[in-house]
Amino acid sequence: MILTPNILARIVAIVIAGVILQLTFFSQVALFHVSPDVLPSLVVVLGLFGGTLTGAVCGFSVGFLLDCLLIAPLGGGSLVLLATGYLAGLFRERFEIHSVLVPPLLCMALTFFAELGFGAVELMLGIDAPVSPLVVRDILLKSIFAFFLGWGIYALLRRLLRPALVEEPAAQLRRRRRPRVIRPSRGRRPRVMGA
Amino acid sequence: MYRKQVRRRRAVLALLIVGSFALLSVTYGQGSDGVQRGVATIFSPIQSVADRALKPARDLVNWFDETFDAKGENAHLHEELEVARKQAVGSQAAIAENAQLRELVKLDRSGAIPSGYAPVTGRVIGRSPTVWFADVTIDVGSGDGVEVEDPVVNGDGLVGRVTAVTGGSARVTLIADHSSAVAAKVVPSGVQGVLKPSVGDPGDLILDFLNSEKPVGRNQSVVTSGWRGQGIESSYPPNLPIGEVTEASLVEQEAQQQVHVRPFADLRELDLVQVLTGGSRG
Repeated sequence: MILTPNILARIVAIVIAGVILQLTFFSQVALFHVSPDVLPSLVVVLGLFGGTLTGAVCGFSVGFLLDCLLIAPLGGGSLVLLATGYLAGLFRERFEIHSVLVPPLLCMALTFFAELGFGAVELMLGIDAPVSPLVVRDILLKSIFAFFLGWGIYALLRRLLRPALVEEPAAQLRRRRRPRVIRPSRGRRPRVMGA
Repeated sequence: MYRKQVRRRRAVLALLIVGSFALLSVTYGQGSDGVQRGVATIFSPIQSVADRALKPARDLVNWFDETFDAKGENAHLHEELEVARKQAVGSQAAIAENAQLRELVKLDRSGAIPSGYAPVTGRVIGRSPTVWFADVTIDVGSGDGVEVEDPVVNGDGLVGRVTAVTGGSARVTLIADHSSAVAAKVVPSGVQGVLKPSVGDPGDLILDFLNSEKPVGRNQSVVTSGWRGQGIESSYPPNLPIGEVTEASLVEQEAQQQVHVRPFADLRELDLVQVLTGGSRG
């Protein structure tokens, strides 16, 4: 990702809009008694586009803003989402995204990781009450929601950050490189282009 | 060049991680600090506007969820039920209270909202997204007279208490949060205990440390006990309805001294709440 002031402003706007949407909409709706958590998916997609550093910084910022707006102890959300963004960026730097299913699957897996991470931070700070087995169901459902949300977020952010993206998705590249036959002019053999 | 980039990247990552831990250790249990107050003050009007604007969309999604779950209830019957429940809980508490004790603690009446408290109505404008915390942010703060430790109720019963305040917003830690503990009693039997949550399941609270030989039965109401003595007192005033006993096996009562309670307030779907400001505390 090429970070220009314009792109940075867009990323800041995306982060703020994401956190406000999460707090005012996604956290207050329930599907099967579980509220979707869009923030890990947002951080994952930013990490996938920008790499480890962008992912980590965005994760930290999202967590910090979230904790500020919830007037909660600072640092816990930042730490977990920083790790989430870093892992997404690491994936992007180590592997190629071969399929359109990769971003949503990664969103699902890293949302699961983030929710466990939030739990780990809480355990580290001390949980004074018994933990219901329903936590597992909630985390699994949040991860499944993240699969579908990740799809939309990836498409939306790719559109919003298109001028900064260095690489096009592999599927698009493959489509462009697909061999095509140019109709031969009279007396010539067919020529294969782009193979 | 590449090595320099890698070094810079590692330095930034290390800084962020150290920063996170530093923030965590500095701010944990300290309430809100200056930065947080500033950010919350800037964003709370935006949150408030977004909250109102997105309410129809939220309602639509929740409507689907409720329909799917066959939760839809007749509004009129629901209102009637709430009124009847409050009356029942209020009268049960009133019967159970000894007149002499009432004189001692200077309670001049019992009811859903005790006298001496000024309710301030607020709207939920934010909610913690993870399953591990049960906090909401409301759009009233110290500018409206809200203080830390003020109890928070809605039309159904006790919701939680204020744990952090800024000028225009406040954090309410719900009774389903792992850090919550409410001194409660079962009416009419008067059995007392501490109500604690079951993390991840806001529909199930555990009334623990039951200090009575009397068995507790299903469908009995649970209210705040609002004890006071020797210079300390409960954050909650007495007789605020909390919930009803859903599971009360004798084995569990004898072995673990606990019963399960379902809160009257739907803690997953909070919209308007009332902060009980003032009172006798402080």
